[in-house]
Amino acid sequence: MPEFLQHLANAVILGGTYALLGIGLTLIFGIMRVVNFTHGELYTFGAYMAFMLAGMFGLNFFASLALAATLGMALGALIEFALLRPLKGADIDTTMLVMIGAGIAMQAGEQLMWGGVAKSVPNPFPTEPVVLGPVSVGPIRLFVLAVAVVLLVVFYLLLNRTKLGIAMRATFQDPDTAALMGVNNGLMYTLTFAIGSGLAAVAGALLGPIFVVTPTMGDLVALKAFAIVILGGLGNIPGATIGGFVLALAEEFGAGYLSSGYRDAMGFLLIIAVLLVRPQGLFAAKERIG
Amino acid sequence: MLKLKDITVCYGKIPAVRNVSLEVGEGELVTLIGANGAGKTTTLRAISGLLPLAAGEITFRHKPIGNTPARDVLALGLAHCPEGRRVFPQLSVRENLEMGAYLRHDREGIARDMERIFDRFPRLQERLHQAAGTLSGGEQQMLAIARALMSRPKMVLLDEPSLGLAPNLVERTFEIISDIRKEGTTVLMVEQNALAALEMCDRSYLLETGQVVERGTGREMLGNPHIQKAYLGG
Ligand SMILES: Nc1ncnc2c1ncn2[C@@H]1O[C@H](COP(=O)(O)OP(=O)(O)O)[C@@H](O)[C@H]1O
Ligand SMILES: [Mg+2]
Repeated sequence: MPEFLQHLANAVILGGTYALLGIGLTLIFGIMRVVNFTHGELYTFGAYMAFMLAGMFGLNFFASLALAATLGMALGALIEFALLRPLKGADIDTTMLVMIGAGIAMQAGEQLMWGGVAKSVPNPFPTEPVVLGPVSVGPIRLFVLAVAVVLLVVFYLLLNRTKLGIAMRATFQDPDTAALMGVNNGLMYTLTFAIGSGLAAVAGALLGPIFVVTPTMGDLVALKAFAIVILGGLGNIPGATIGGFVLALAEEFGAGYLSSGYRDAMGFLLIIAVLLVRPQGLFAAKERIG
Repeated sequence: MLKLKDITVCYGKIPAVRNVSLEVGEGELVTLIGANGAGKTTTLRAISGLLPLAAGEITFRHKPIGNTPARDVLALGLAHCPEGRRVFPQLSVRENLEMGAYLRHDREGIARDMERIFDRFPRLQERLHQAAGTLSGGEQQMLAIARALMSRPKMVLLDEPSLGLAPNLVERTFEIISDIRKEGTTVLMVEQNALAALEMCDRSYLLETGQVVERGTGREMLGNPHIQKAYLGG
């Protein structure tokens, strides 16, 4: 039983970051319909920015986190503006190849800039775990979960309660009609890509002090993000959030009770199983809010 | 108020509308009639900035609006209620109406206009928090018209508002459009139902294969033998 609770706690903590990655990619892949191969690289970018700001420049960790997220958004906006906007109307193969190229270029850039040796972001919290009954958790992990939950809530409010969020949803449902309402669709595309990228970057920055930072750290994460999006039902934001937690639970319990060597495979096995039974993902398209 | 001078609009290289000129005066209700594929929708989409002009000029209240982004055309006071209603299916009724007021910033004015819309369309108030895609066809059409009015336009383009509605709803829709005009909003309406369109309008234009072939007051057009034969079943 204590072991079970510990796994559950670990899964919830990991799930928060997966959810951030998942909703970020849902915005771009599920709603904008861009098969985004830069998502994992933005995650890596966020982690390196946190390393650079907090580890090299000695900036406060929390400020570094905010700045890494902002830089991630800016990089996302740049990618949309410079690569995707000129490709408006191009077919999906062209866009996909360009995004694959962009992803490879970004990874090569990270390799060039930081070298292959793993970096680590200094942990601003005490390393002594917090003990809650049978469960013990590092304070940094609790912080990661708290930030993830706050960001998820802020994101829902933005999308559902603000004029900007409603306009974003309107644009993706029907761009021409949104234009007739006075929406600047180009701006909505750039902003959406920026927000999705910012969420990936902040996930990378948050996990920087927990895992090590390497140029290829984004590869597996990108695959997992795609898995979460598909698991949750394409374009379904609540679905991607729950998908993030489901994937984390599968990994954590799979690793804990079956075989730790297959941790990363667990998620993909789960996805194959889910898609065999529900090809539309866990949540039907009519529940999507995008 | 609105003036089109010899406009040509193409899809790729193929012109769908050729040398069309028309005019709508302030306070008028003008209709654009014609068969399916005649170029009516294309004309409206060029006016509101969704399609570029290959040639010609459009002015609205003396300002050139050809090849102007839709957002700027709307900001000048010209709203467009598109063919097929095109409500945002996954937004609630309220959110759809809020999208209509997207360019406005006067919260109180928006709230007041919404109240007025609920007086006119009580069904919309009953379904305020429902996704627009779950409304019936008639309700969606009311929502689409109401949404266009939320921008407080000086003029509104209506593309086949009666399309796919049951006969009693068609009548109700035309009544509402007459009311809108009586309240001082200029209307340019596309309609395939030629009889209704000619009976309710001040003036009308007939489009055939992308060109204006007849024009006149509603009464003149109703008496025109070509129109009677081809469009009024007479
Ligand atoms: N998106 C499009 N691409 C190519 N051709 C189009 C497109 N939309 C309309 N057309 C063509 O332009 C002509 C006019 O269409 P439209 O303006 O929709 O007519 P109407 O509204 O009078 O029924 C038709 O021949 C139609 O096939
Ligand atoms: Mg049409």
